[in-house]
Amino acid sequence: MIPLWMYLLVAALLFCIGIYGVLARRNAVAILMSVELMLNAVNINLVAFWRYLAPQDMSGQAFAAFVFVIAAAEAAVGLAILLFVYRTKRSVIVEDVNLLRW
Amino acid sequence: MIELNAQTIAFAILSVLVLGGGLGVVTTRNLVHGALWLVLSLLGVAGYFVLLSAPFLAAVQVLVYIGAIAILIVFAVMLTRSMTSLGEVRNRQWWLSAITVILLFLLLAVGIILPVWGRGAPGEVTSLSATVGGAVELGEALVAGDGFVLPFEVASILLTAAMIGAIVVARDEEDEGA
Amino acid sequence: MTDIPVLADLNLAWTWPVVGLGLGATLLLVADLFIPRDRKQQTAWLALAILLVSFLLNLAAFPVVDSAFFGMFVVDPFSAFLNLIALTTAFISILLSVDYLQRSGMQRGEFYALILFTTAGVMLMGHANDLVVVFVSLELLSIPLYILAAFRYPDVKSSESGMKYLVLGAFASAFFVFGAALIYGATGSTSLPHIFEVVARGFAAGGAPELLLLVGTGLVLVGLGFKVAVVPFHMWTPDVYEGAPTPVTAFMSVGAKVGGFAALLRILVFALPVLSTGAVEASAWQQVVSLIAAATLILGNVVAIAQQNVKRLLAYSSIAHAGYIMMALAAAGHAGFGEQATRAALVYMLAYMFTNLGAFAVAIAIEKGDGSGSDLEQFVGLGRSRPLLAGIMAFFMLSLTGIPLTAGFIGKWLIFQVTIEAGLVPLAILGVLTSVVSAYYYIGIIVRMFLREGEGDPAAGGTGLVNGAVYLTFAGTLLPGIFPYLMTDLTRVVSTTPVGG
Repeated sequence: MIPLWMYLLVAALLFCIGIYGVLARRNAVAILMSVELMLNAVNINLVAFWRYLAPQDMSGQAFAAFVFVIAAAEAAVGLAILLFVYRTKRSVIVEDVNLLRW
Repeated sequence: MIELNAQTIAFAILSVLVLGGGLGVVTTRNLVHGALWLVLSLLGVAGYFVLLSAPFLAAVQVLVYIGAIAILIVFAVMLTRSMTSLGEVRNRQWWLSAITVILLFLLLAVGIILPVWGRGAPGEVTSLSATVGGAVELGEALVAGDGFVLPFEVASILLTAAMIGAIVVARDEEDEGA
Repeated sequence: MTDIPVLADLNLAWTWPVVGLGLGATLLLVADLFIPRDRKQQTAWLALAILLVSFLLNLAAFPVVDSAFFGMFVVDPFSAFLNLIALTTAFISILLSVDYLQRSGMQRGEFYALILFTTAGVMLMGHANDLVVVFVSLELLSIPLYILAAFRYPDVKSSESGMKYLVLGAFASAFFVFGAALIYGATGSTSLPHIFEVVARGFAAGGAPELLLLVGTGLVLVGLGFKVAVVPFHMWTPDVYEGAPTPVTAFMSVGAKVGGFAALLRILVFALPVLSTGAVEASAWQQVVSLIAAATLILGNVVAIAQQNVKRLLAYSSIAHAGYIMMALAAAGHAGFGEQATRAALVYMLAYMFTNLGAFAVAIAIEKGDGSGSDLEQFVGLGRSRPLLAGIMAFFMLSLTGIPLTAGFIGKWLIFQVTIEAGLVPLAILGVLTSVVSAYYYIGIIVRMFLREGEGDPAAGGTGLVNGAVYLTFAGTLLPGIFPYLMTDLTRVVSTTPVGG
């Protein structure tokens, strides 16, 4: 079997790629996609921990299922708000959501 | 040492999909391509779920994530004309973000990898019977005596709220006069 | 076969304040369909009635300690106290909204249902006894707020505010849930009492806490830090607060923070108090929390001085107040002070709730229908045109500063006390100093209202309901200031022992 740490390493990498996307991209749609990457990293973690540490108790998988639900809800609301922004501003370029601004 | 067998090869290929897709999402200029990269990455994660003997989650990953969320994002790209306004991809502080992220990754790598090093080595992990990890067990876990009834109900309320909210925000201009 | 539980197994009796609110919100959506477009105030009355019922049910639940939903849901005085804050916040926010929505042309029934949904989320954060529940309630709290922030139509600032809040909120949730996944990996469970047991067992065995657990806790702290807006996770606050409709900002500044701190207290103080690196005295997270508190106090208070818009000023002020609550959290990290610090934080949140909502109520009273008119210059001459309103506003400002005879003073007093007793003297001194700094900008508003000559605009939105909210919050700020036991007695029964599932 693949050792646990390999899954966790990939998850950590994917999580960090997602963070980079959120921090560095200007288009809000791209930022939302990066958030989805981060949530997927979480799911890899959850399912890997479930499989290797507590396979008899389904709570890891159930947690992952809830992450799916939240991701769907966030994506739906996100799309609605982005459309609203686009209608009022004709662009979804996030110039001022500079997350690293002090 | 990790032996070379079907599983490890599959893992290697899937990792390339997951990480390559992820990098594609955050670097590509054209957001339609970005959405496709995202689908690739999500597909890789679905493959992981299969390797981790969680077939139901793998199916959900394909149906919900790729089938619904990724399509929703493609809609978002098209409706906001994001693929035509290519402009600059990154903001001015992207290099600062890159440094932050690399530092964070080193922290995570040390904090996550060290504690589990050596765990889950071959033979140590209990093998699952074919039925464990499927839809039935997950369904039971959601409503069973020690299960997740409360978050399940909260999630249903949350989806209602999100749906209503999305409709309210996305209303059309003509709707106002009616 | 698994036993599918019947209703009686869920032990719903004491969950009705929350369950009823969720149910009421859903029914409100249906009822709203039958209310004609020009009479949407009726939806607001219904929403207020639902809140009132939930409030009364919650009073009945006050001294109870019990668990429901198989241990996922705790009923204890801690959650009952937070419910009081959450429900009052929602009640006052709706009072502030009715006329505001009317005159700015965004009267829609869904607004009130969304407020009720997000309030249920805040309450669930206090009740949650499982990381999965915390996560799902965090989203129930956040997602309706993203929409409410973008509710003003069609308005660039409001839509941008909603987008920023959404992007940041989703980002923060991802951090939170990644951290929660690591905690799950380190302890093999998502249930908070179980996590407590595992960590306590490891601690008793003399081992250092697992690195995995520490990193997980850190990421949870980051995620919730975004929600409660502490430095360095605060940058979204001023823009979002400024762009959102003002009653929504009022709700956000209290509700989202209370929910976030409820989860922080539940996770750090209830579940992980023994997370220590060997020194028995303090938890491993105490130093980080202290640093965050210090940075938040300094930045929030200093940057607030430069603000010219009352909503931005209150945004930075709310960052600063989150810093004071973080002080209590830092004190709670010291062995043996968890309970006292939790009580101080609860009292502080109650006082902050009344005072801050009051300040927003006055801001709404002088704001114009198109959303403009929240410059600080609007306050010039208010002492002459609306002496009573200006006087009450002055009182709120004194309470936010922490002058004696106000509720704010009691809150600060308790927090400084527990911080000093827990041995964090430098942090307490910093708290006092930054309070002095904060006096500069709070009193600046008083000076504008009473001492500066100028033509005060007649307060546009000072209608009956808004005035009612102003008087209600005034009473809530004044009475505990004179009779502190009104607040402190309620927290006396609060204990931080995890309730087993």
